[in-house]
Amino acid sequence: MSCRIGVYVCNCGTNIAKVVDCEEVARAVGALPNVAVVRSYKYNCSNPGQEMIVQDIRDLGLDRVVVAACSPRMHEPTFRRALSTAGLNPYFLEMANIREQCSWVHDDPRLATDKAIALTRAAVLRVALHEPLEKRYVDMNPSTLVLGGGIAGLTAALELAMAGQPVILVEREGQLGGNMARTDLTAPFLDSARDLLQDRISRVTGNPHVTVLLDSELMELQGFVGNFIARVAARGDDSPGAGRSYPVGSVVVCTGYQPFDAARIASFGYGRLPDVITSFDLEHMLKEGRVLTKAGRPPRYAAIIHCVGSRSETWHPYCSRVCCMTALKYGHEIRATNPDCFIYDLYIDMHAFGKGMEDFYRRSAELKTIFLLHEKNSVPEILPAEPGQDFGMRIQAKDLLCGELVEIPADLVVLMVGMEARRDAGRVAHVVNISQDKDGWFIESHPKLDPVATTTDGVFIAGTCSSPKDIPDSVAQARAAVARILAKISRGQIEVDAVFAEVDDGHCSGCRVCNELCPYAAIEYDEERRRSHVISALCKACGTCVAACPSGAIKGRHFTDAQICAQIEGVL
Amino acid sequence: MAVLSNPRLIGELEKYGAEHVVKCYHCGNCSATCPFSREPFLFPRKSMRYLQMGLEEKLKGNLEPWLCYYCGECSEQCPREAEPGETMMSMRRWLTAQYDFTGISRLFYQSWQLEVLALLLVAALTGLGFWLYGTTHGSLAIYDGPGAFLPASAVHVFDWAMAGLLAGLLAVNCARMWWFTLGREQGMRVPLGAYLRHLWLLPVHFLTQKRYRECERKRPWAIHLALMLSYLTMLVLIMFFLEDMQRGPGISWSVHVLGYLASLGLVATAVYALRGRLLRRETHYKYSHETDWIFLILLLYVALTGVAQHVLHRLGLPLEANLLYLAHLMGVVPMLVLEVPFSKWAHLAYRPLGMYFSCLQAEALRARAPAGAGQPVAHNV
Repeated sequence: MSCRIGVYVCNCGTNIAKVVDCEEVARAVGALPNVAVVRSYKYNCSNPGQEMIVQDIRDLGLDRVVVAACSPRMHEPTFRRALSTAGLNPYFLEMANIREQCSWVHDDPRLATDKAIALTRAAVLRVALHEPLEKRYVDMNPSTLVLGGGIAGLTAALELAMAGQPVILVEREGQLGGNMARTDLTAPFLDSARDLLQDRISRVTGNPHVTVLLDSELMELQGFVGNFIARVAARGDDSPGAGRSYPVGSVVVCTGYQPFDAARIASFGYGRLPDVITSFDLEHMLKEGRVLTKAGRPPRYAAIIHCVGSRSETWHPYCSRVCCMTALKYGHEIRATNPDCFIYDLYIDMHAFGKGMEDFYRRSAELKTIFLLHEKNSVPEILPAEPGQDFGMRIQAKDLLCGELVEIPADLVVLMVGMEARRDAGRVAHVVNISQDKDGWFIESHPKLDPVATTTDGVFIAGTCSSPKDIPDSVAQARAAVARILAKISRGQIEVDAVFAEVDDGHCSGCRVCNELCPYAAIEYDEERRRSHVISALCKACGTCVAACPSGAIKGRHFTDAQICAQIEGVL
Repeated sequence: MAVLSNPRLIGELEKYGAEHVVKCYHCGNCSATCPFSREPFLFPRKSMRYLQMGLEEKLKGNLEPWLCYYCGECSEQCPREAEPGETMMSMRRWLTAQYDFTGISRLFYQSWQLEVLALLLVAALTGLGFWLYGTTHGSLAIYDGPGAFLPASAVHVFDWAMAGLLAGLLAVNCARMWWFTLGREQGMRVPLGAYLRHLWLLPVHFLTQKRYRECERKRPWAIHLALMLSYLTMLVLIMFFLEDMQRGPGISWSVHVLGYLASLGLVATAVYALRGRLLRRETHYKYSHETDWIFLILLLYVALTGVAQHVLHRLGLPLEANLLYLAHLMGVVPMLVLEVPFSKWAHLAYRPLGMYFSCLQAEALRARAPAGAGQPVAHNV
């Protein structure tokens, strides 16, 4: 077919030109059929570089463009925009990667130049067969499913409801509040967790936009971003098709954490020694307003052991983030109920990373909390007191700051249990199609730049289901997820890339081979018509189904057989 | 062997002045700054840790506070304002109380009112005793010679009796110091030969305070040495030459010139220290325990009344001289009786002993360490 192709060989300063002879590349492809113009330029991605392409399209009547430059991951959007500016369909662009695949990885200029010519020639042959493609849009359902009624879930639900959007809040337990409902005060500012939470719970339950489903679980999530169907059933009811289906546009997973089971570290004697308790047991006592030993006496000496299950080679390698400050908080709270109690903190590293935390640590030291630094992976030993001693237990640990084996008196031992992924996190991950890391935490799309999105469009994660974090971070993540969702809702529609697979109904035999192979669950089978079809919004254009279809009924848009063959021919 | 932690220790040391030790987070800047801090005595950080952890027995056997002369460098470098220098000072006060078997020292350090009361009581008893003696054996109008109100011979006997008592008390406390630091622990035992070999350290440190000179600032050492030598000179004059000192009205240059120098030294250094503590510009004068004030005020009072009675005597005013002499004794006796064995003055014995014992401790630690293990241990004198 006849067309007018413009070829632009970018020097990328000297990044490409120092190894690849760009002039030779230009000369070599200039002789190819359909090539109307070839230019070698210092920086094609620069504004003048882009303007040159736009001007050539207008002046020379180009209808195809090849840019031989860097990886398309870097600048394909840039040059596609340039084509659009000049009034050309952006898919009439093809890039040849002569930087990452040539100049950056080869030393020999001759061979690198030959390879650059081959790649550029392939691009020229391919681009001639490009078709104009249009982006597509699907409707965005403004409803959101929030999974989990802890502080993150409550915040997400409340923020969405305040924006006037409908929310389905699914909570596994019989009441809202999650793990935060089990705590008394919050560190380091000593606000009441109950106050903070109760306000949110009453605003959520009283909000007409929020449907709260207690004692419920998400059984199934079908569809794609903007158009999910969530089936929610009563907890434990896993009969097929049980429960009710809710159409939602987005999902926020806020399923939280579970505390480490202190009984797993047998030497602490949790469950065996009456006055060895966990942080949550202490929270319970603090909420009751009385801290007492099993015998009903106020403790004179309380020892708080940090990092139980966290930062350990045996248990969890990670830091649970909240325990250090919570432990300091216990010092304050135990003293508040029992001013004469001496407090010991046995720690391996004091993590006081956030606002007000270092100050809190300093204040705790000034209130004469005694901090014992022991070796990482060493476990303080709990022994019974000797006759005549005025305390119940002795704890032995080597203090690294003076090198002595120190014996600490204790009437009460508090184990700071860390956070771990919930037992049912794997099931949740499977239902909403997201991944877990080696510790079971849900994986974010990008740990720094996209911390609340996941690899499944429309499914967000917030709070401690993705990693241990404190209340402010959980709240911030919930709000971040809501911001992302509201942005989608406000556009009303979701843009779907024009590159996806299509099933030719006439050739599809309904064998369903593609259905199971699709890694994105983007292919549906229509029972009535006995044909498969691709949900374009879910398709990532990986091409697996195109290759697998025994009838050759599936076409990958922008990756047609003819285009790929032309490209191969160009390389050869 | 595990050491039991006593969480009350920090609160107890607070009464001795260690109010800031809780702020320490063990960066070690203090030990790095200190010109004396070297193996095996890396102070003040480690001593601060013993205190923070409530390791009372460790602290009791710890000689490090006596190795510190409080130049203040560590406190200036401390990023947490944990006042390591003042903490070491407080530990010296606490150790003084621990060494004292009577328990009086502990009472004085924990309540200055009690100390003042005791001083006043001893002063009153001294005044009453000497008044009764003077008025029954002589005349208030006669200063020296026959019929003197307070004859040198009588005062001299009293001096020696008192010195014997004080030396006895101090010796018992010094023995306790030895027991805590070297005696009770098997690992700290050293052969008798070592005791003899290092004995020279005692007079050397006592008379020169040469370690103080190693501090970066030399002036505090000079002041401290001047005060100590003045005190020592006066002590020798009174203990051995009291008759010559009191004889008058002519000036006996052989003894009096030394007396004048010593008086000048005492007054000047006491005024300097009082001024420093009032202005609080220098680090080692920033914090003052009540016992520091009591000590300096007493010292100044004693020196000034001593000078005054001498001057009045030379001016031919025996009545006034006798009254001032009585006032002088009412200061000097309580000062010596209460300060030497039980309070700040005790450090004149404990510090040289600390230097001596620390050298023996270092030797014991060296002997204990397996051959070739660890770092070489510096001679810590």
